[in-house]
Amino acid sequence: MKRHRVARNSGVAVAAALVLGLLAGSASSQPLPESVSYCLNCHEDKQLSLGLKDGSSMSLYVNPRDFARSVHGKQLICTDCHARYEQDHPSGATFPSKRGYAIAAYETCKKCHFDTYTRTLESVHYELLKGGLDSAPVCTDCHGAHNIQNPHEKRAMVSRSCATCHVAVYQAYAHSVHGKALVEEGNQDVPACADCHAHHQIEQPGTKHFRLNSPQICIRCHGDARRMSKYGISTTVVQTYLSDFHGVTASLGRGASSAASQVVVTCIDCHGAHDMASPRLKGKEAMKATVAAACAKCHEGASPDFPAAWLSHYEPSLRHAPLVFLVDLFYKIFIPFVVIGLVLQVLLHLYRASAGR
Amino acid sequence: MRDAEAHEYVVRFSFWACFQHAAGILLFGVLLLTGMPQKWPYVEASRWIIEHLGGIFAVRWLHRVAGIVFSILFVTHLVVAIAGVATRRNQPALLLNRKDFRDAVDNIRYYVGSAEAPPRFGRYDYRQKFEYWGLIFGALIMALSGFILYFPILVSRVLPAELIPAAKVMHSNEALLAFLIILVWHMFGAHLSPESFPMDTSIFTGKIRKEKLRREHPLEYEDLFGQQ
Repeated sequence: MKRHRVARNSGVAVAAALVLGLLAGSASSQPLPESVSYCLNCHEDKQLSLGLKDGSSMSLYVNPRDFARSVHGKQLICTDCHARYEQDHPSGATFPSKRGYAIAAYETCKKCHFDTYTRTLESVHYELLKGGLDSAPVCTDCHGAHNIQNPHEKRAMVSRSCATCHVAVYQAYAHSVHGKALVEEGNQDVPACADCHAHHQIEQPGTKHFRLNSPQICIRCHGDARRMSKYGISTTVVQTYLSDFHGVTASLGRGASSAASQVVVTCIDCHGAHDMASPRLKGKEAMKATVAAACAKCHEGASPDFPAAWLSHYEPSLRHAPLVFLVDLFYKIFIPFVVIGLVLQVLLHLYRASAGR
Repeated sequence: MRDAEAHEYVVRFSFWACFQHAAGILLFGVLLLTGMPQKWPYVEASRWIIEHLGGIFAVRWLHRVAGIVFSILFVTHLVVAIAGVATRRNQPALLLNRKDFRDAVDNIRYYVGSAEAPPRFGRYDYRQKFEYWGLIFGALIMALSGFILYFPILVSRVLPAELIPAAKVMHSNEALLAFLIILVWHMFGAHLSPESFPMDTSIFTGKIRKEKLRREHPLEYEDLFGQQ
C-alpha cells in the first residue's frame, strides 16, 4: 500500500483549511462551504492519489471549479456523499480497484434520489452489473461525480456518456436527423438517447416487447401536432401506421397476455432506429427502396411493386391511391343509401300493418 | 277447410338448403366476431374480444379458417344451384324478373295506401330475392377481397399492389353493409315483422304452414294446390 501524500496532523490541516479555503473561494466565483474547503485542502492537489489493491492508483483530485459549478455545488458538502470519511481520515483503508470503488459508490445517490435509484434496478444495465459485468454503468458513469450537471439541460452531454460504451450506435445517432439537430444545433425538440430508451429504467432493446412498444416512443413526438408543425411534419404518420395492418398488430400484440409469435414491422424498420434520415431529404426513390427492403425481410418473394400496397402514410385521395379512395367513397354513399332504404321500407311495412287490415 | 290448413304443412326447403342456412349462421357469426374487432381495433370491446379469443394471431387464424370454409360453402352452393337448374331438377325460382321490380313498386304503393292489396308473390318475394342476390354478390366480394388480403404477395406479382389496400377497404365496408342488411332486413323479415314474429321457422324445419304459404306466396300456393 502506498500513500503519496498524507496530512498527518489534523491541527495543521485545519489551519491550512482556513487559508486554502479563502484561496479556493476567491478562485471560483462562488465561495464553497467551509467544510468543503477543508477537504479540498488535500484533494485540490492534482498529485493526490491512492494505491489500490490491484496495484493501480486512483487520483483523489477534485477540481473545485467543477464541483462549484455542478448542480450539487451549492447544496451538498463532501461528506453528504462521502459519509464514511468524517472521522479518522485518511484511515489507511483502500479499495480493490477503481471500478470496484465506483460500483461500491452506486448506493450513495440512493440517499436522495431514491425513486431514480430503484428505477435503475429494473434496467438492463443493472441486470448486467448483477451478472458480473463490472463495466455496466452506474450513476456516476453517465452523470459524472463531482461535475454533475442538470441532465435536463445538458441532454447532449448525457447522450455522449452513452457513447462511452455504445460507440457505433452513438455515431449512427449523431449523424441521424435527430442527432445532428441536437449535437450541432442544440435543438431541444429532438430526442436524445434517454428520450427513447428511458432514463433509468432502461429496457433491453431488441426484444419483442421493446419492438412492439417502439411505435409508442415515436408517437410521443410525431403525434404531437404542435411540435411537428414547427418542422412541417404531418401527424397523420401516426394515424396511418396505427390503422394499417401492421400498426394494429403491434398495438394488439402489445396489450396481449401472450406475446406476439411473429415479428411485426414498426416505424424503425423503414426509418431506422438510430440512423433515421428525413424521408424528405432522402428522396422518394431511396425511401421506396428502403421500404421495399423492409417488406422483403418478412414477405419473401415480394415484387418491387409490393411497397405500393402500403400507402406511405398518405390518406387515400384522388392523387394518392385513387382506387382506395374511390372504393371508400363508393361505400360511404352506398351503405347509407341501402340501409336507409331498407329501414324506410321496414317502417312503411309496420305503418301499413298497424294502420291497415 | 281453412281451419284444417292451420295445422297442415308443406315442404318448403330441402335438407341442403337448411344445412346451408345453419352453416351460414355459424360462419357468419364467427366471421363477424373475429372480423369486427379487426375493423375497429382500438375500441375497448374489440380488444376485450380479441384478448379472450386468444390474441390477434388466433383471431386472424380463426377468421381465415372461417373465411375459407365459407368460400367453399359459397362455391358449392353455386355449383349445386347451377347444376340443379341445368338438369331441370330445380326451378330457377330465385332469378330476378320484371315482375319483381313491378312487385316492389306495387308493394310500396300498397304501403302508402295507394293500392288496395299487396302484390301476389310467387315462391320468393322480391324482398327475399333482394337478400339472396345481396348475399351472392356480397359473398363474392368478401371472398375475392379476402383472398387478396390473405395472399398479398401473390396478388402484387400479377396485379397492381394498390389493389391490396383497396381490397381491405372493400372487405371492411362490404362486411359492415352485410351486417347491417342482416340486422335491418333479415332480422325484421324473419323475426320482427308482424307476419313472422317471433320467428319464421321454415328454414330450420324445412316446412311452412299451408295457410302461411297461401297468404305470403299465393302464386306458389296456386301452383301447388290449384286456384280456390
